[in-house]
Amino acid sequence: MSRYLKIVALYVRLGILNELEYRANFFVQLFQSVLSLLLSLGGLSVIFSHTGTLNGWTQSELLAVAGVYFIIGGIIRLVIEPSLWRLMQDVREGTLDFKLLKPVDAQVLVSVNQVQMWKLIDIVMGLGVLAVVFAQPQMQTDPLRALFFVLALLCGGVIVYSFYLMLATISFWFVKVDNILVVFESMYEAGRYPVGIYPGWLRFTLTFLVPVAFAVTIPAEALTGRLSAEMLALGGGLALLLAVVSRLFWLYGVRNYTGASA
Amino acid sequence: MTPPAIAIQSLRKTYQVSQREAGTGAALRSFFRRSTKDVVAVDDISFTVQPGEIVGFLGPNGAGKTTTLKMLSGLLYPTAGECRIHGYIPSRREAAFLRQITLVMGQRNQLVWDLPAGDSFELNRAIYSIPAAEYQRTLAELTELLEIGDLIKKPVRNLSLGERMKCEVAGALLHRPSVLFLDEPTIGLDVTAQRRIREFIAAYNRRHGATLLLTSHYMADVEALAQRVVVIHHGRLLFDGRLASLVERFSPHKTITLHVEPLNGHDHDLAQYGQVIERDAVSVKLRIPKAETARITGRLLAELPVTDMTIEDPSIEEVIEQVFNAPADRPAEAQP
Repeated sequence: MSRYLKIVALYVRLGILNELEYRANFFVQLFQSVLSLLLSLGGLSVIFSHTGTLNGWTQSELLAVAGVYFIIGGIIRLVIEPSLWRLMQDVREGTLDFKLLKPVDAQVLVSVNQVQMWKLIDIVMGLGVLAVVFAQPQMQTDPLRALFFVLALLCGGVIVYSFYLMLATISFWFVKVDNILVVFESMYEAGRYPVGIYPGWLRFTLTFLVPVAFAVTIPAEALTGRLSAEMLALGGGLALLLAVVSRLFWLYGVRNYTGASA
Repeated sequence: MTPPAIAIQSLRKTYQVSQREAGTGAALRSFFRRSTKDVVAVDDISFTVQPGEIVGFLGPNGAGKTTTLKMLSGLLYPTAGECRIHGYIPSRREAAFLRQITLVMGQRNQLVWDLPAGDSFELNRAIYSIPAAEYQRTLAELTELLEIGDLIKKPVRNLSLGERMKCEVAGALLHRPSVLFLDEPTIGLDVTAQRRIREFIAAYNRRHGATLLLTSHYMADVEALAQRVVVIHHGRLLFDGRLASLVERFSPHKTITLHVEPLNGHDHDLAQYGQVIERDAVSVKLRIPKAETARITGRLLAELPVTDMTIEDPSIEEVIEQVFNAPADRPAEAQP
């Protein structure tokens, strides 16, 4: 276990060193993150110039959703997305062989092998938004909500990671599946708002086909006291299930890759 | 007798490949419906390699060399047959097995492109959990042998191809593998860099008694390193033995280079002495059966105004080319 922590730490270090090679990139990322935040805030202000609440969510609560959206998005873009893009590139270029030849679990290697440090900006901004929201006197917090929130965040992270891993594993068969990830990214955009505001079919898609609801809405619901213990348990169960399924699918993919469909 | 380091028994690998004809229409059709066919990449190959031996693994592109190396390193499951490395079955990819081997591919890099090689080395140190003292010792030895002391501090992208390859080799050996699979480690390198890598491989083999299986298209590599060569063609084992006996066995010919003045006017009758391989204004190269050497030489000297003449065994390249051009009983197929 400590070996894996060390490997993860080294990848983080390599990620930092790597990004320091391109300093200009920091400013581009900062600009992008700020722009995205302004877009979220702008959208919210347009909505609330017409109405007081949106599907039962107040302005402050929706701001909290946006904060969670940034935090989860930051985590995805910090390590999950770049690593799994890299996996697809490795499959295409044959360099995955080097990872499969290492005497450690290859799933760990491919899941953390690329870290984009500047995406921490998104996480910091998301936390900042939450801090502003909960500094307001009418927003109440209690330890149980905070606990629910952390658990829901954890489940959301696992669900999104598992989902991503399964998408990337498809590249063992179809080699070039970058477009699928792009689709996921656009779907994730929908997480800026609670999925409850969308029409039924889209809500279903965002909950079960692309787990944006579990990634963003459910943690936000926990934060605003809307999440029931049953729903949280369901999220936990789904996280566990997807983690196992994606692991099996990954192993199956590796076996197929090494068997070259024979 | 010590057990072999590498034992391959009736190894076979069949791929299912999708195929289509050239052209947009065919591409479109195959987008919706792929037609596949089975391709035999490796067909019933058996050989063993003793610990500490360096074996040159030869074959034209698509002969099945890389497929075999991938099966030996556990990246591909054999369709049939068996291979064992120090008793391990590679496809199980046990950690204890993976620690003993390394694969260097001349065309693929594992070092992080934008960072100094030293940073990637640290990562491999963690992955193989190499103790600090041992790591320092190995790194010092490798940097000295490969002369890359300064290079490992520069971003890999700023290195020349030869420098990068030396760093790749060092990175692949930090865990001191006892079995090395080198797939064209010198490809694309200039002559000096090729020689450096070659000398290093020889030195590493001498020092650590490592077993090496090496593919290369440069015969200089093979001549310098391999006491023994294994030749495969169309997935089949064609030859296994000493390099010199390869020449004897596959080339019952000699090459005669003649300087004739003037050569013009003799064109029509040169072919009666032997097969004309090359010719220019003043010289001609003929291939003749070995047994006929004395008789043909005599005739040439008597019948043509010869000013100079040399008789040689054909170069390894020529022999290999001849072997590879020989028709096989099945069509050649591409590598995966």
